[in-house]
Amino acid sequence: MSRHYNSLGFSMAGFHGCPPGSGGVLSISCCYRAIDLNIDKLANRCFSQVNVGRACARVASNIYSKDLAHRQACTMANTIKYLGQEEAQHIDEELFNEYSFSVDQLMELAGLSCATAVSKGYPLQSLLKSPPRVLVICGPGNNGGDGLVCARHLKLFGYEPSVLYPKRPNKQLFQNLTTQCEKMDISFLTEMPEADVVDEVYNLVVDAIFGFSFKGAVREPFGDILSQLKKITVPIASVDIPSGWDVEKGCPDGIQPDMLISLTAPKKAANHFKGRYHFLGGRFVPSALEKKYQLNLPQYPGTDCVYQLN
Amino acid sequence: MNHSSNEKEPETIEPLRYLSKTEVATVETELLRDYRFGQQQLIEMWGHACAIAITKAFPLSSLSKKQPTLLVVCGPEQNGSIGLVCARHLRMFEYEPTIFYPKRSPQSLYQDFTVQCEKMDIPFLSYLPTEVQLLNDAYNLVIDAILGPETDHKEVKEPYAGMLVTLKQVKIPIVSVDVPSGWDVDEPAKDGINPEVLISLTAPKKCAAGFSGKHFLAGRFLPYDIQKKYELNLPEFPGTECVIEL
Repeated sequence: MSRHYNSLGFSMAGFHGCPPGSGGVLSISCCYRAIDLNIDKLANRCFSQVNVGRACARVASNIYSKDLAHRQACTMANTIKYLGQEEAQHIDEELFNEYSFSVDQLMELAGLSCATAVSKGYPLQSLLKSPPRVLVICGPGNNGGDGLVCARHLKLFGYEPSVLYPKRPNKQLFQNLTTQCEKMDISFLTEMPEADVVDEVYNLVVDAIFGFSFKGAVREPFGDILSQLKKITVPIASVDIPSGWDVEKGCPDGIQPDMLISLTAPKKAANHFKGRYHFLGGRFVPSALEKKYQLNLPQYPGTDCVYQLN
Repeated sequence: MNHSSNEKEPETIEPLRYLSKTEVATVETELLRDYRFGQQQLIEMWGHACAIAITKAFPLSSLSKKQPTLLVVCGPEQNGSIGLVCARHLRMFEYEPTIFYPKRSPQSLYQDFTVQCEKMDIPFLSYLPTEVQLLNDAYNLVIDAILGPETDHKEVKEPYAGMLVTLKQVKIPIVSVDVPSGWDVDEPAKDGINPEVLISLTAPKKCAAGFSGKHFLAGRFLPYDIQKKYELNLPEFPGTECVIEL
């Protein structure tokens, strides 16, 4: 706990009594620390409790205002950072190891962002086909997990998602997410429809095949799936990275999605994105992490979990 | 629009169901056991929705103090963990929460939530002042995430009993998460805390039936099957919102 206060640079040296009503930075920092110790000590030193209360608020706001000033400075001076593959992996690891987030939590927030972005870009009333069918293609890793969560939220938002999930990891989390979808009456396809069938039946496709860990060759059945996706005319919304693209360099003859939902922060591949909608999602980055990697994240509007970058 | 059944009366909206303590437990068991939701997942969704409800009840611009400070008081069980997640999201929404979490849960499942808050530089008090003026001065509102429907209201132990006494005296608004702490899930407490705002999670509880303050329903993830099975008659959430005012 004490490391938390020290890291904010407050002087912990000495505690001296102050007559009630006197402010002063030292007494403020000391009394906040003293809240942590024992409030009786304060009373003994003639520090009125009302001042302690005011001091609490001031110290707390001191903690917060430094943070806000920094963030405001960042967004004014710099644009959002586009991450390389290794950087993205390090950030991910830190979120789980240092910040103690669980995959469940962040996947839920990420999937919610994806569903929200889809509903902003392709509102229910705007869809040409009825019922509002959406095809969600989930890959073998975390990107696929994001897709499963996305499908569930799309269903709650009134869409009719169907999921194609050909390669399922043998982990409890993914099995649970699959059950959650099945229990919401989301149908699971057994094989990838041909491009012309996709165009006929679905309003759009959510590409949750490969994410930022993708490297090297595309294994089946995803090669075939991606070639179908290259032929369809309905929009593709890619989760984090357009599948099949190099995470940093993009892919000139890969799929060309209409929407990209970058999670946490955009990756370098997004520089090559030519679609209509680029959203940022995954509103869970602690400001210390943001500062460390100089992400320069924009300020999300209100309580929205997505930010439109273009 | 379905015009084929013109003879039918316009569809009557069935009343919202208020759940009893046993029903709450049953629904949650089903969500975990049959629907395979994870506990951390549920807590994350509830905490997130709770934070959004708070921003609706008390927008940043409406807060009277210079800084948007809030005190989040967290109990030892699930309700407290929801409070922790709520505090974290409120931080992301530019509020300045301070947490009071006297009895940390020994469950590792809940410990992560504490670390997440600490790592967001959210201050933790280790003492809740009994001098109420302190709280009135320092914070715009108090978020009561002390006791939830899982607790037996008759056996409120220390330090919670004392904390509730303090909270009953604050002049700043109290926002209760799911169930006002100290209330019986099935009926309101006659001399319990009196929150200005109640945020019911998933579905309201029986004790909220006559609630006179602002009442929000937060958490939009309940599968339709469960909604039908328990005849919850939940209202329709607008657009992609996960909170609705009742």
